[in-house]
Amino acid sequence: MSKFVISATLLLGMALCASNPAQAVDAKQVFEFYCAQCHGLKGDGKGINVGPDFATDPRNFTIAKDMEKRTDADIEGVIKDGGHSISKSPLMPPWGATLSAEEVHGLVGYIRKLCQCKAK
Amino acid sequence: MRLSSITTFLVAVVLAATAGNSLAAGGNALFKKNCASCHYTDGPAKEKTIADQLAKKGPELWYAGSKFQKPWLLAWLQNPIPIRPMKYNSLTEKNTGDHPKLSAGDAAAVTDFLMALTSTEVKAGMLNAKASVMGRKIFIKDMPCSGCHAYAIRGEIHGGKSGPSLIGASKRLNPDWIYAYMANIKVFKPVRDMPDFSGALATNELQDVAAYVATF
Repeated sequence: MSKFVISATLLLGMALCASNPAQAVDAKQVFEFYCAQCHGLKGDGKGINVGPDFATDPRNFTIAKDMEKRTDADIEGVIKDGGHSISKSPLMPPWGATLSAEEVHGLVGYIRKLCQCKAK
Repeated sequence: MRLSSITTFLVAVVLAATAGNSLAAGGNALFKKNCASCHYTDGPAKEKTIADQLAKKGPELWYAGSKFQKPWLLAWLQNPIPIRPMKYNSLTEKNTGDHPKLSAGDAAAVTDFLMALTSTEVKAGMLNAKASVMGRKIFIKDMPCSGCHAYAIRGEIHGGKSGPSLIGASKRLNPDWIYAYMANIKVFKPVRDMPDFSGALATNELQDVAAYVATF
């Protein structure tokens, strides 16, 4: 009986988590909505905004040897505080007041998928 | 004689007000029939998720009267030259400029209807267009505004494509709205691909950027 109650409680909890949109961050959707305008839908740094006015190209997330040099905390920091915060291009905006912590965390994971790499 | 003149004047005023109201009422009906499938006008903002924003076919217009300048809106509805380089909500499809055109009469009625839709977040008469040095520095160098928004310097076009073009903003946008939008963006557009700069810039800096954009 107690096993049944525990199992039922766990199942109910899982169902509630799955049905709560606030907890289900679709990192691909978040990336494509916010980041792809400059970093490109493939994350290759070739977004539609990139042109002659860009002093440097947006980061190409598919190059593993570049992305391995950055820790997850580095990536999270620049998403939140922008390029200015690390003396990089100010064209990378500070997204900290726009994105939730879950969305930023999800983006770090999605960027790691794009580079298929981890920090070294 | 004098009483007669006053009476005539009062009748004229009442008729003019009635005509204005009926024009706006006609505009409401025209809008519902022709425009409401792409634009909503009953604020406050409804979008809660990215999916909500992506489901929209055109910008929300519930604060159109605070955002736009009336002469520009009247002319644009009759000759809708694209403002966004890209189709609304798209990073892959260009704006083909297929916004419906209205006749002069319909445009006048819809303009009256839209200009009556205002937001209390926008304090009127606070800002004027000004070629602010600080505003220019923030817009072009310190912040990423130019990365997404097109603008022109001495006829040469610069800037990105994902946001609405700011070329012609001096005729299109109300400077007070530009400031209010940046200062309290979540009220106007809770889910959008433009960052919230209210914490990154001080009030006077946001005002300088708004005044500078209003010169475009």
